[in-house]
Amino acid sequence: MDCRETQALLTAFHDGELTAADRARVDAHLRGCTECRALLADLARADQAARVPDPGPAYWDRFNARVMDRVEREADGPKVALLRPKHGWMRQQLRYLVPAAAAAALVVGIVRYGGMNPGAPTPAVPLATREPAAADPAAQRTSKMEPETRATKAAESTAAARRAPPSSVAGEQRTAEPREERDRLADRSLQKGSGEAARDRAAAPSAVGVPTPPSMVQGAPDGQGRPGAGGGRDAAGSVAPPAGSPPVTAAEGMHSGMHAERKKAEGAEGRRTEQEGSGKAKSASGMRIAKGTSAGSPCDRARTLAEGERIREAEDAQRACLAGDLPAPSREKGLVFLAELLDRQARFAEADTVIAEVDRRFPQSPPLELYRQQRPMVQKHPTAVPVTR
Amino acid sequence: MSADLDGEKDERLAALAAVGDRGAFDALVTRHRQAVYRLCWSATGNAADADDAAQETFVRLYRSLPSYDPARPFGPWLRKIAWNCGLSVRRDGNAGVPRVAEGDAPEAVDPAPGPEVAAAGNEERRWVADAMAALPAELRMVMVLRAVEGLSYAEISLAAGIPAGTVMSRLSRARSRLLAALRARSGGGS
Repeated sequence: MDCRETQALLTAFHDGELTAADRARVDAHLRGCTECRALLADLARADQAARVPDPGPAYWDRFNARVMDRVEREADGPKVALLRPKHGWMRQQLRYLVPAAAAAALVVGIVRYGGMNPGAPTPAVPLATREPAAADPAAQRTSKMEPETRATKAAESTAAARRAPPSSVAGEQRTAEPREERDRLADRSLQKGSGEAARDRAAAPSAVGVPTPPSMVQGAPDGQGRPGAGGGRDAAGSVAPPAGSPPVTAAEGMHSGMHAERKKAEGAEGRRTEQEGSGKAKSASGMRIAKGTSAGSPCDRARTLAEGERIREAEDAQRACLAGDLPAPSREKGLVFLAELLDRQARFAEADTVIAEVDRRFPQSPPLELYRQQRPMVQKHPTAVPVTR
Repeated sequence: MSADLDGEKDERLAALAAVGDRGAFDALVTRHRQAVYRLCWSATGNAADADDAAQETFVRLYRSLPSYDPARPFGPWLRKIAWNCGLSVRRDGNAGVPRVAEGDAPEAVDPAPGPEVAAAGNEERRWVADAMAALPAELRMVMVLRAVEGLSYAEISLAAGIPAGTVMSRLSRARSRLLAALRARSGGGS
């Protein structure tokens, strides 16, 4: 055995992993070769130097108690922490994304409602007056939220407005007045005493024509409300959660508003028409996903479990969800959610695999792009980062 | 760790902990905390991050126990969690930061350095630690599991999910690089 052959086996020799026969051959060579003996000594030197120092008994005395303390603390109330952005990065994102979302919704509102759907029933007010209402995701969201969440949302909205650039603040402030004006005009146009119906009608254009602003901005991070107009992808390519702990609240609210208005106008037949019509809208805004999952479905269960920090179980449920027959948008988002769940378990390689699959099956996937932006935060704070659905 | 749990296998303790036996979980922590800490230290390169990662490892373990299958070996599973936690902490807190910072050299927290740990040895160890930080993650992992944890190739293969032959070749490459770094250091006249 020469030096080259010996050195190829030296690592295994050093680690005691050679067969007896090979070991004997290496031994024989080492007895007569100082160079290979020196290399063997180097291996031991490297291993010795790589030893990890022990932090000492005082550290270990407290270690278990600290683990249990964390376990219990995180088991107590992680839900809010899970979804509410507490970290500077997300706050920073919100500062810019809120006004950006409002602007995107405004543009979409103009194009889709004012431009592409001129025949739709609208209050007889100039387009410019209607636009701000459509571009007011915060107001939409607030109006559709549970009462107990409104105060929190309003406070957050106000805080966001304070942080937003002046033009955006002005834009948000403008929305209140046109909304009242719109309601008043709608009341007049209906010539009925039902203010509720008028509000429903006024809300309808924005519900139908204005896709959700980026849900990561409006819904998920705060952990209490869901996206203002249901889950899915908006025209700007952002992703909205399809469902969540207060499941499809906004979507249901929107539905009921539209339904009330059309029921008055068209009766029972109108309901069917509305459902068909909104089905089209649902495809555009992604609402179909929110409505398509029953409360007890694995898809919903995955999200509920994730919000309860039962990430491993959520992963199982999400895999079960994906094993079902899903429409492509739901599958696309479902895979992204699965990647997120894996990231939150620090199983980054598996998450990479799932992401690669999304890339392959859904090239330039907006949900994936959105998640890629959030991914470092998810990996950094697996229990404190908004669920990006 | 209570005496009646001392002799229990990890898998049995994990099964007990999964159904809420805090004593069993405590026993698991006590049994594995030092190995987990060492693995995390090796991934992060400093005591503070290693502490974070080690704590996080056991929190994640606790959360994941309900899904643990006792038919699977516990050790590799826990090591995988620990390694991922260590990488995660390092990725978050130490991106772009040298793995072993001045003032946080490993020997600084070694409570009882042996006589062989002289100044020259410490210096060498710091350089090896730096060289390890420069290794690709897959090489570093096998190096840590072998040199730090003393696992066999078969155990590393199980933990890392790679064939034993790959373990050996990676170890060989890792050590070659480490030795090259050591030699370069020696040649540079430190």
